Amino acid sequence: MKLNRRHLLAGTAAVATAPYLGGRAEAQTRAETLRYVTGAAVNTLDPTMPGSTREAFGVSVNVYDRLVSFGRKQRDGNWVFDIDNIRGEIAEKVDISPDGMTFTFHIRKNAKFHDGTPVTAADVKWSYDRAVSARSLAAAQIGTGSWTKPEQFTIVDTHTVVGKIDKPDRLALPNLCTLYAIVFNSTLVKKHVTPQDPWGQAWTKDNTAGSGAYTVESFRPGEQVILRRNDAWTGGVDGKPAPFRRIICQTIPEAATRASLIEKGDADLSIDLQPSDIDTLVARGRVKAISTPQFNAFSMIAFNTRMPPFDNKKVRQAIAAALPYDSLFKAGLFERGAKLYGGTWSGTPTDASFPQPMPYKHDVAKAKALLTEAGFPNGFDTFFAFNLGSAAFAEPIAALVKEALAAINIRVEIQKLPDAQISTMVTERKLPFFIETSIAWLPSTDYFFRTFLYGPQRWNYSGWNDQRIADIAEKARFETDKAKYDAACKEMIAIMAEETPIVMLWQPNQDAVMPKNIDGYTYGYHRQVDFRDMKRI
Amino acid sequence: MSLAASIARRAGRRALSSVPALFGVIVFTFLLMRVLPGDPAVFFASGPNAGQAEIQMIREQMGLDKPIPQQLLLYLKDIATGNLGRSMNTGQPVVTDLINRLPASLELTFTALLFALSLALPLGILAALRPNSLIDHGVRFLCSLGVCVPTFVSGLLLIYAFYYILGIAPDPTGRLDVFAAQPPVVSGFILIDAALAGEWESWRAAASQLVLPAATMALFVLAPLARMTRAAMLAVMTSDFVRTGEALGLSRRRVVLVYALRNALLPVITIMGIVFSTMLGANVLVEKVFSWPGVASYALDALLTSDYAPVQGFVLLMAFIFVLVNLTIDVLYGLADPRVSIE
Repeated sequence: MKLNRRHLLAGTAAVATAPYLGGRAEAQTRAETLRYVTGAAVNTLDPTMPGSTREAFGVSVNVYDRLVSFGRKQRDGNWVFDIDNIRGEIAEKVDISPDGMTFTFHIRKNAKFHDGTPVTAADVKWSYDRAVSARSLAAAQIGTGSWTKPEQFTIVDTHTVVGKIDKPDRLALPNLCTLYAIVFNSTLVKKHVTPQDPWGQAWTKDNTAGSGAYTVESFRPGEQVILRRNDAWTGGVDGKPAPFRRIICQTIPEAATRASLIEKGDADLSIDLQPSDIDTLVARGRVKAISTPQFNAFSMIAFNTRMPPFDNKKVRQAIAAALPYDSLFKAGLFERGAKLYGGTWSGTPTDASFPQPMPYKHDVAKAKALLTEAGFPNGFDTFFAFNLGSAAFAEPIAALVKEALAAINIRVEIQKLPDAQISTMVTERKLPFFIETSIAWLPSTDYFFRTFLYGPQRWNYSGWNDQRIADIAEKARFETDKAKYDAACKEMIAIMAEETPIVMLWQPNQDAVMPKNIDGYTYGYHRQVDFRDMKRI
Repeated sequence: MSLAASIARRAGRRALSSVPALFGVIVFTFLLMRVLPGDPAVFFASGPNAGQAEIQMIREQMGLDKPIPQQLLLYLKDIATGNLGRSMNTGQPVVTDLINRLPASLELTFTALLFALSLALPLGILAALRPNSLIDHGVRFLCSLGVCVPTFVSGLLLIYAFYYILGIAPDPTGRLDVFAAQPPVVSGFILIDAALAGEWESWRAAASQLVLPAATMALFVLAPLARMTRAAMLAVMTSDFVRTGEALGLSRRRVVLVYALRNALLPVITIMGIVFSTMLGANVLVEKVFSWPGVASYALDALLTSDYAPVQGFVLLMAFIFVLVNLTIDVLYGLADPRVSIE
């Protein structure tokens, strides 16, 4: 008989736990466990905590439920989240009033928290009050859907909650699908509140009080989280518990190690391998990769529109014309993504969606002419910055940018900065131009503009504040007529193409790599894995 | 005066004299972190609508809204009460993190040091007994190789060979196989805890996880130890008492292992102390490659994000360990060579 270490361990574990399980025959087997490996780490179990990592978001999605959730759709053969298809999670039904301002949520009668108590309207009300009032990340996000104060949420009866907004907001319901609008077991959390901490935030950091598909079996911050299936979960599409019994979410800092683990079949899923390794891995035939362009994200070169000479539109346009887009795409990303350059339109776009390919092309003669028009026939000196953490793809790009701009006499020095330092310099508007990748959870054109292309927030990388955009975006947000909304979006995109505060480059792929017998992966708005979809086939 | 009393007195005096140094380290690290460019509040303001309000909120949460002298006083007060602040990266108190992670680093470092010593001492002695022979050149080659190859390269190579190709090593992911049972935590050293609980399967699993990272580190520190042993042995072997011993007809083994080695050990012990302290702090790459949940990778992550509290806590811990190691080395001096008394 062949006996290897793993069998032996599994056997020992089974024997050791058998007495506690009362002889339950269904011992934890490897087949029922999904081992997910990632370079990042979970730092909290409460995703609304300031400073939460993206991995923490991913865990919370599986542990907590929301009233409503995004459905999914096929996009070029892959499953992706669908902001236009909203399904009930804790709610079995949502009634929207004809004017689009009143939402009536009917809570599932069989929805239960992990401790077995039923989910009630009081829990929902308390959770939403917390989201809009507590000092957390939630308020700023769901505020973009016009949810700003507790008075907007009222309890009708034990299983009915009504939410009201002042103006029809296209992002009101999508915002309640995001992971900040989670529903807490209010009775449980209230046991741990203090006068200084009326929302129990210190407790929820390390403990959970949810009703989601998984419960937290063990949480070692920065190392691993183990999730156990909640067999009583009813929030799924089909009302059944999640396929995997156990999820191990483990931090493995080295990408090469993660790749070997997957290839050896010791781990089941990773979404952050090196783009350069993916083709080789797949070619060796033991794993498959599901590559989805992150259609709600984009990489860009941002110009600081408040710093000379980048406050001059012609300089920005000149650089946009000088960049060798195809080479950048190859060198930085191995062409693993969707292009956001080389758009064929000019003037006004034909499509209202955003991000979309912008009409920028590599044209050195045009770049030289623009730079002369701008008053810099002999170019100038500047520096180009990128984040140390993304050096793998940003470094070759920086070198190419330097070379390309030398052709139009702009002398570029490259600066590689640690994460915290570059964030600070961007926020203080001290960098002339730099490369960055960002994401919007809700891929809606007006939301992109509100988040990235005007306003004081950190994500307005270029510091661009064009009153025209402000006016149009604020109006578009509450526009219910689709034709008018599309027209407004096209106008904003046209203005942006002309002003060039940022140069859109591409949408990098999310490469989910897994053994061939793992299935169900869906690209989520949070760019994390929704374990509830995953199964072994 | 007995040996023990003299050692205790020396240790006590050393401990006392290290207090100002520790204080200096605390203040210096504190100021250094704040002088470094990069505002942690901005970095951690990761919300979708991170504006000034959120940055301010995090700044207050981290206590960075107060003037620096006041922050320093508060920090000193916190340290006095055993509170090193909270890490933004892990969301946990720094003390908890360090307590959880230090045993991992120590276990790895001790094992690596044991590997290195058990290889370096014999090799160094052999090389010294036959200078410029084939053995000597072989040892020199091995040492140069160990120093030249960066640890992340040798680590990845070992993983590639023993895990990926041969499949005899366990997956290089931390201290214990994720599917193995975790022994109840007593000391934090899994080998000790598993042995105490009598869980020999876990012990075996933990030990097998240790082999590759410890070998990687041992390879790297082989050179200073082996070279120092060789140099010290060479010097001692030509000294009068060795010649006398040989003239008196003592066996070669007795001359080399008892009389020569013991006298040659002093510089080796010094180097060992330095190597140990360096390994503990500088094995970041090994910890990263093998997903080892140790203190060094913890501090590096914190440094990259300008997370002040963990970095300060780590430096303080390292300073403290350095003091302890020096103390131990002094004690070992006394044992290796009773003539030595460092006051």
